[in-house]
Amino acid sequence: MRNQILLTLLFLVIALFPAFAGKQAPPEGGRPKDFNLPAKTVKILENGLGVVLVPYGETPKVTVSAIVKTGNLHEGAQEIWLADLTAQMLREGAAGMDFQTIARKAAAMGGEVSVAVSSTETTVSASVLSEFAPEAIQLVSQVLTNPAFPESEINRLKNDLKRELNVQKSVPQSQATEKFRAMLYPDQPYGRTFPKEAMIDSYDIAKVKAFYDSNFGAGRTKVYVVGKFSPETTMKAVEQSFNSWKKGPGADYPEAKPSMKKQSAVIERAGAPQTTILLGLPVVDPANPDYISLRVANALLGGSFSSRITRNIREDKGYTYSPSGVLQPGVGTAVWYELADVTSEHTADALKEIHKEISRLQNEAPSVEELKGIQNYVAGVFVLQNSSQGGIISQLHFQDLYGLPDDYLSTYVKKVHEVTPEKTRQLVKDHIKADEMTLVMVGDKQHLPVQ
Amino acid sequence: MKAYKLISLLLVVCFSAGLAAAEKAFQVPVETYKLKNGLKVVLSEDHTAPTAVVAVYYNIGFRIEPKDRTGFAHLFEHMMFQGSQNLGKMEFISLIQKNGGILNGSTRFDFTNYFEVVPSHKLETMLWAEADRMTGLAITQENLTNQQGVVKNEVKVNVLNQPYGGFPWLTMPQYANTNWYNAHNFYGDLEDLDAANLDDVKSFFKTYYAPNNAALVVVGDFQAADTKKWIEKYFAEIPSAEIPPLPELDEPVQKEEKKIALEDRLSNKPAISFAYHMPKRNTPEYFAMGLLDQLLIQGSDSKLYQVLVQEKGYTGQLNGGINYLGNMYNYNGPMLWMGDLIHDETIKPEVIIADVDRVIADIEKGIPQEDLDLAFVKLRSQLYGTMDSYFGVGKADLLASFALFDDKPSRINSLEEEFRKVTPELLQKTAKEYLRPTNRTILTLQPAKADSK
Repeated sequence: MRNQILLTLLFLVIALFPAFAGKQAPPEGGRPKDFNLPAKTVKILENGLGVVLVPYGETPKVTVSAIVKTGNLHEGAQEIWLADLTAQMLREGAAGMDFQTIARKAAAMGGEVSVAVSSTETTVSASVLSEFAPEAIQLVSQVLTNPAFPESEINRLKNDLKRELNVQKSVPQSQATEKFRAMLYPDQPYGRTFPKEAMIDSYDIAKVKAFYDSNFGAGRTKVYVVGKFSPETTMKAVEQSFNSWKKGPGADYPEAKPSMKKQSAVIERAGAPQTTILLGLPVVDPANPDYISLRVANALLGGSFSSRITRNIREDKGYTYSPSGVLQPGVGTAVWYELADVTSEHTADALKEIHKEISRLQNEAPSVEELKGIQNYVAGVFVLQNSSQGGIISQLHFQDLYGLPDDYLSTYVKKVHEVTPEKTRQLVKDHIKADEMTLVMVGDKQHLPVQ
Repeated sequence: MKAYKLISLLLVVCFSAGLAAAEKAFQVPVETYKLKNGLKVVLSEDHTAPTAVVAVYYNIGFRIEPKDRTGFAHLFEHMMFQGSQNLGKMEFISLIQKNGGILNGSTRFDFTNYFEVVPSHKLETMLWAEADRMTGLAITQENLTNQQGVVKNEVKVNVLNQPYGGFPWLTMPQYANTNWYNAHNFYGDLEDLDAANLDDVKSFFKTYYAPNNAALVVVGDFQAADTKKWIEKYFAEIPSAEIPPLPELDEPVQKEEKKIALEDRLSNKPAISFAYHMPKRNTPEYFAMGLLDQLLIQGSDSKLYQVLVQEKGYTGQLNGGINYLGNMYNYNGPMLWMGDLIHDETIKPEVIIADVDRVIADIEKGIPQEDLDLAFVKLRSQLYGTMDSYFGVGKADLLASFALFDDKPSRINSLEEEFRKVTPELLQKTAKEYLRPTNRTILTLQPAKADSK
């Protein structure tokens, strides 16, 4: 009874406070409009190549993106960055053209042929003026399917990779990431980040060709065309350009064997004004029904500006500028981590607060209001993620890569809103466990808490 | 037979419509007006997605912050999120996010901007919130101290604890320019950041954050009539203020090449950057420089890329452009055209510069029409990409810049025309006049032989 009165009083105070302070409440806004995913045309060619066309937007540009399901995960233990070298070599010559000819052709369309490699995929793409969609498709196809792999260029590219390796290894966040992944995924492709210089030295044209031959082909490739273009001529251009490519192997990734034990490591960076903290663990993969809910939980815990960890260690304590909670997807696995560069003197304080916020959410369900706000945010971000050429490609590829059902994108917002406060608490308790976490700190040892 | 004819006719019509479209520049809808208090308003509808961008740009950049308070314009940007009349600390941020939107702000050479991208039915809420903080702030010492900590950590993570931190985007203007306004540390010395107090915050807001020193841009899925009504309702009553004249920002003409050697304790490979003073904004030479930039350093077909990356293999990545903190449109004062790359210890900086000079000397001999056409196509494509970038924020940025600096946001639709006027002769003349070594600053960065490595 007494408690009830106290509660009522508290409510009154909260309700009255704005009136006392003479504050205005923000206007609510109008009624939400329907959001429909942009319509797409899908086709599978006889050689297994997938084609997805999405007419989108008003600006006279189009993005052509050929995504091959091969990347660093297909490298052997002594082949780290061979996927990168192979991708770089694609641009060096194709279909009788040298690098300069390819570059000039793309430039005349208002774009560039770019190659990018991640652990799971190799992408060859071009973003050009609309009127050049068919020519861009042809050029992307020539680079991807008919590479010359000129011997004359490989040493320069190897040297570029070695330089890049040195630069990356001097960046504290990269140092932390390398160590973190090696501890999470010991002795397997998922745990490898950087090669040794000698490894790069050992690569030659034969190794590049072998990597290409065993990992590239229409069977593990999808071509996305998004933007303003004519669907008929574009589909015809894709068919003509890719029809004769070999089928090659189907998509196949090694199995991840994550380490779920509590562990920590320190990398010395004498005199560093900040400590780079990387704290996290492997979690369920995108194919797991809990994954979308986990995204919501992460946005509430550390993955948005108004999240708890950010409010605490940035907006309350001022320990850091750039805290972020991240849910990083992978095939058959994913990683949750909090990354923050904190003032060296406050390393232990920041860690304590991060742990405090995790444990608070494990033990106490968030309020309906707090969760609702985060759900709206995650749903709003989803709309934005499907509102640009690159975003649309990346969403469709996400669904494809992780083998998610056809209605994954169309039911996403609904699933985001289905998460309950209790479910959020339970998820954090089940998946973000303190006794399974790996901690890596890069900083000046005198400021690092001894474990 | 009849049907066949109709189809051919349709084809002809479509074809010619296509041609006409290709000849005429892509047009962005622009509606612009001014409130009685001087606030410039720009509206640009685009109903592609059910989202809207609200962008408020204040005509105060980091160039003109107080001399004993380096980094203050940027620190102040953080204060705009720390509480206003009706929204306490974190409430502004929460308001945007819980309505499904994203937000940010940034401090540049000549403006400070704040923007939100939200589901379009929440546009009124955002306009209210931006008007609320334009009306006044409610900052406590505690919040100021907190953000001083945050900003010092920002400087540490981006500069002090980062190899090549600030190179060359933060360092180059400090050496290439001579006028303090263009040449001081924009991120701020840590002592200056610590010295900032609540009075500084109040006076800065009072001096520069008035409606008559700002532009409000709305881009995206909205109805103009409602939007104008809300803008009138929430912004019209905010009083205007007397805005002090901008200080003299001009740079003297550079007559001798400058070379500065820097050391970096955190990096392990040397780097080099070169910068040339740009022609004055909006002159024919400025537009020519925009095309020279495309020809020389934008993309893997560019002349410097072909030589420095492909032919010589000095680097795998060549960066370059006009205005490293934005693009060639969103500034209003002296500017640099710059390039930079990381290279091996075995390559002497002089060798790289000799190759840069060789490429530029080649350009000065004359530029074929074919090269000019190529540069123009690249520029157009990049411009459209900029408009589309970040869910329409890129378009809002151009509109706001042209509103603030030229009082003419519709310039977004006449840019192509300006670039079209550039002739090979003008390119050649501009290259000779501006890409001369005596108009250049070279920074070289050497990894320091640090004891601790």
